[in-house]
This record gives sequence, C-alpha cells and structure tokens, in this order.
Amino acid sequence: MKARKSLWAGLTALILSASLLGGCGSSSNNEPAASNGNTADTGGSSAKPVTITLMMSGTKAPDGQDFVLDILPKLVKEKFPNVTLETSKYPDEQYITSVRTKLAAGQGPDIFLVFPRNASLAVNDMAKAGFTADLSDLTFLDNISTGAKEDMAYEGKQYAIPSGMDMLGVYYNQELFKQAGITEQPKDWPSFLEACQKLKDAGITPIVLGDKDPFFIQFGMYQIAANTVYPDDKEFDTKLQTGETSLTDPKWVKTVSMFKELYDKGYVIKNSLGLGSAQAAQNFIDGKAAMVFDGTWDYPTLTAKGASEFTRGFFALPANDAGKPTYIAAATSAGYAVNAKSENMDVAKEILNYWYDGQSDLFKEWVKSNTSISVYKDVPLNHELFKPVFDDYNNNGNSVYFPNQMWMTGVAEEMEAKFANIIGGQKTTPEEVTAAMDKKYKELAKSKK
Amino acid sequence: MNRTVMKKTMYFFAIPALVFYLIFWIFPILKLFQYSVTDYNGFSTDFNYIGLDNFKDLFASGTLGTSLWHTILYTVISVGLGNLIGLGLALMLNMNIRGKGFYRSISYIPTLFSAIVVGFIWSYVYMPDTGMITTLLSKIGFNTENINFLGNYSTALYSIIFVEIWKNIGTTMIIFLAGLQTVPKDLLEAGEIDGCGPWRLLRNIKLPLLATSVTINITLSLINGLKAFDFPFIMTSGGPGTSTNTLIFSIYKMAFTEQMFGKASALGILSFLFIMVITGIFVLNMNKREVSA
Repeated sequence: MKARKSLWAGLTALILSASLLGGCGSSSNNEPAASNGNTADTGGSSAKPVTITLMMSGTKAPDGQDFVLDILPKLVKEKFPNVTLETSKYPDEQYITSVRTKLAAGQGPDIFLVFPRNASLAVNDMAKAGFTADLSDLTFLDNISTGAKEDMAYEGKQYAIPSGMDMLGVYYNQELFKQAGITEQPKDWPSFLEACQKLKDAGITPIVLGDKDPFFIQFGMYQIAANTVYPDDKEFDTKLQTGETSLTDPKWVKTVSMFKELYDKGYVIKNSLGLGSAQAAQNFIDGKAAMVFDGTWDYPTLTAKGASEFTRGFFALPANDAGKPTYIAAATSAGYAVNAKSENMDVAKEILNYWYDGQSDLFKEWVKSNTSISVYKDVPLNHELFKPVFDDYNNNGNSVYFPNQMWMTGVAEEMEAKFANIIGGQKTTPEEVTAAMDKKYKELAKSKK
Repeated sequence: MNRTVMKKTMYFFAIPALVFYLIFWIFPILKLFQYSVTDYNGFSTDFNYIGLDNFKDLFASGTLGTSLWHTILYTVISVGLGNLIGLGLALMLNMNIRGKGFYRSISYIPTLFSAIVVGFIWSYVYMPDTGMITTLLSKIGFNTENINFLGNYSTALYSIIFVEIWKNIGTTMIIFLAGLQTVPKDLLEAGEIDGCGPWRLLRNIKLPLLATSVTINITLSLINGLKAFDFPFIMTSGGPGTSTNTLIFSIYKMAFTEQMFGKASALGILSFLFIMVITGIFVLNMNKREVSA
C-alpha cells in the first residue's frame, strides 16, 4: 500500500512538472502577440496590426545601416504604422535551404528573394510548385525593362520583381596596358590573345583569377560561352532540357578549350588555384596583374585603393571570332516574390507598390543601396566604369544570360571541379570536362523528376 | 519509504529525456535509412522509392572511392603523426625545464581557436607568392615561384592534414601529460637502479602505463579524422578539383549543393558503417593492451 502511494506521488510529480513545462511554452507564445498589439496602439492606427516577414540572401553591409535589415523596416513602419516588417538575411546556401524547407512546411516568409529563370529557388520552379503569387497587378511594373521582367515571369505572368542586372566582364589596368604597348582595346579573341602576349612579354602578369574559390571559374567560362555556344543557338538550353542536345556539344568543348588556352599560354597568374577571390582582387588593385574577370557586383572591391594608383577600365571578354560582335554575359539579378500562401498578401503587395513607386524615400534608399545595374526607368547607371559596355548592351542587345541559370545546381560545380583539374595540370581534356558536366546534368535531371 | 520502489519511480523521470532523445536523435537517424532508398531532394514531400539505386550509383561513380581514400589518408596521417608529436611534446614538457607552464600553455593555444579561425589564418600562411611561408623562404633565397600548397593537387590534402594536426596537438599533449603524472616515481626509480637508460624507461615503463591515454588519444583522433570536414570546407572547398573531398564533405556537397538528399543519405549510411567498424576494431584491440600500475 505504502509502495503504491509513493508510485502515485512520483507520477503526480511527473505530470505536474510536465504541465509546468507546458505552461511555460504557452505563456511565452503569448508575449510577442501582446507586444505587437501595443506597438500598433501607439502608432495610432485603427487598422489591425500585421507582421510581415521578409527573407533574403547576402551579408550585412560592412559599415553603416543595412538597407534590408535597418532602413527598410523603419521606412515601412513610417508609411504603414500597423505593419511590422521583420527582415532577415542568410548566407546564400543556407538561404536556399531554409526558404525551401519553410515553404515546404507551409511556413514560408511573406516576401522572399528568388532567382531568375531555372536555377535553384528560381522563378520557374517556385511558380510551378505554386509557392509564389502572381504579381501582375502591381502598379509599377511598366517602369521595369521588359527583358528583366521576362526573366522573372512564368507562362506570361509576373512572379517576382527583378531588382537589377549584373554583367560579367574584364576589369583592366589602363596604365599597365599602355606600358605593354597595347593601344587598342581588344575586339576579338585573336587580338585579346595578342594583348595578353604583349603584357606577358613586358613582364606583366596578364590575368589574375581566384580559382581557389571554384565559382571564380564561372566568370571566364560564361563570358566565353556567351560568344561560342549561344550566338547561333539562343535555344541551346531549352534543347538541353528536351534532350535534343547535350553539354558534350562541340561548342561547349570549344568554350572549355578556349579558356584552357589562357592557362596553357601562361596568361593567367601561376598558382591561381591557391588564390581566393579576395586575394585575386588584392593582386589586381595592387597593380600586380593587368586584368581580372569578375562581375559588376564586385565594383567596390575592385575599385578599392590598393598599393598602386591606376585608372580602371571595363570591357566584355571578346571571345568572338574576328568580324563578329562581342556578346556580353549579362543576367537579371535576384528579386523579391510574394508567398502564394501568405495570409497578408494584400499588405505585402501594398508594401511592394510603395517600395518601387519611383519617388518615395524608400525607393531612393533602395536605389542607393542596390549594387546591381538598375533596370528601373530613369534610374541612372550607378558607375561610369560600366558605361561603354552598358551602352553596347542597350544599343545592340547582344547579350546572353549566365548558363547556370538554366542548369540544376551541381552542374556548374562539376564544371568547376573538372576544370580545376586542367588548371592543376591533371591531364584532363576539355572533352572530359564537358562529359562530366553532361553526366551530372543528366543525373540531376533524373533525380528532379 | 521503500527503497526499491523509490528506485523504480525514478525511472519515470527518465521518460522526458528519453522521449527527446528518441524524437530528436534516434528517429532522424532511422529516417536517414528511409531516405537512402528514395530520390528525396530535401524539401519536397513527394518522393519515390528507388530501391538500391543510390548505393549502386555511389559505387559506380567513383565519388565513394576517392572520398574514402582521402578520408583514410587523412585519418592515418593525422592519427599517426598527431600522436607521435603529441607524445614527444608531452615528454618534453614533463621534464624539469624552466618556464614549463609557459610552454605548456602555448602548445595548448591552437586548440582554443575555432576551426574557422585556424583555417582562415592558415589560408594566409599557405598563400602563394605573398603568404607567410613563401615570404620566409624567398627571404632566405629560395625560388618560391612554384610553391602553392593549397592549389596543388599533390600537396593540398597534406597541407590540410598538417593544420588538423597543429590544431589538435594540444588536446593530445594534455592527455599524455596527464597520463605521465600517474606514472609512479618509485617504478621509475626502481628502473633506474636496475640500470635502465632513458629509452628503456620510456619503452618498458612509461609507455605501458600510458596505454589508457594512448587508447583515448587514438580513438579521439581517429573519430576526428574519419569525420574530417571543417578544414576541407574552410580552406579548399574540397578543391582543387576533388583532391580534398573527404567523406563528410562529399555528403555535405551532395545534400546541400546538389540537393540529392537521398543519395547523400546513402553515402551517410555507408560512412556511418565504415566509421563504426574502424573505431570498433581499434577500441577492442587497444583495450587489451592496457595495464595498471
């Protein structure tokens, strides 16, 4: 009997402690809701308080106020006192994984960043899966250039707002070019190789690349591909999806071979596999190499003050044959989409309408913080350096997107790993590189179905 | 109150912990077995069961082979060298030298930094042309043009292993040092009276009594080496090419970059089995060698 009693006592204690724990949980759940109510009251608005969540990828601005983390929530609060905007930034890979998981669990953020076309977490996939809402009724869409809008549309409907455009190109050191006796900016592949040879003969390292960060390999490869794979066959990647063509196509082999040529002839800095992107940039701004392949987004890094003072120039890598136009590798940058399952979709759209209205303080702050080239009507080009290439882009329209925007994630990584073999002197042939890319593409396509 | 009943009641208090353990630890591991036979991509809820295709692909593609080989190299070298150097350091720091405490502290410092910090520092040490090592070498007149530790296929893996050893040497050393304190003075004195030189003292008295520390150290560094991930991830991203892809790094890449969770789970299970078997063999073997004073 006594034994029974203590058993019960034990059980009761256990249940009690369990319910205590439960109590903790629910009370802490209540708190944020209550404080939300308070903030709305002080705002003096009669509308009911709403919390909107926004997620994006990237890192916090190194100095001063970060647009997404600091300025955006403040300005939204000023305009819509009942709305609390909670913003968060994640590093790229974690971002993709966490947004996907949240969306799959039905707890996605109200507004989130998606990528153009067909990459991971890109418009096509998200719209097809019904995760992003149709934004065609937003008021400001007419102010955005058509090409950029198309990259963020699926089956004719707008699913995300393009926030700009990025180009790949060659940043070069004008003084070193003069020193080597290069009078004219190279216009095609033979003259580019000639310029490299002149630099090399003058004892200057022609090109520095940060191949220790494998993604750096894409900066050269995509610019060449824009001139070899796509000019005669704009639908290459669509054919790739249907299986009509493959990445082992001679045009891709040619692309890899041309890039390999730069390494074989010693135009790229020795030991590039030991340099990361930051170290490559340092080499360039210190005047130790004449050129670096990089994107417009790296403008701040590559124009920072280094050990040497010199004038920068920027051109698209002329991987074209003589007499043909140079194609620019240019692509729409990631932009915001609205969660199709958001309970506050109207509020989210209202915020976007205010954000991109072309005149509000919020819009001006956004333009100031945007590192991409604007695709918004009447917003001037952010950096003079890009003007020649940007004018060429606007006037001739010879541009090709980054191929990995049409690949599953993993193909570009395979290309990088295999091409690193070539850089490292592992006797890998361009054919083997494209074969590996093709194999990975098919493997991923299979697992995606 | 009856003591035995009291004891039984106590078991109920283990239930919450047990439930958490089962839900957050055992259940996910079992899930891994389920995912390994699917084409699950990590987020979509509809996936297909594809039998043993994942395992077949792994064996056919060569990823398993290369990353397994790198892992084995990584482990063997870091266990072997790490313990030898650790033991050497411990023996030296156990001698009666001036500033013993200072030396003990500085040899333990690398362990205190996180892998990220260590990896970052060493990336700069290894950097070609302007890195610390190349700068030093060129100051004393060597031609450093072709020195590229992390960017060269034949040196990248070894350069990383060296950092691993450098970082973990402190722990190994401390455990050996603690072990050395337990070696009874009278045994050593008896040995000396019987005419043992320093080498025989080490070989026949200190080492057998250190067997427990050896077991701990080898097991710890073995597990550390087999699950090597931090330094390949931080210092080389598995590169150049795939020359520093270890098992765990390959799993990470497969799951989070290529979004093939199913296949990554399969690789996870294979490495789980591999690590378990190797660790098991070692621990069982070494337990037999332990003696007590």
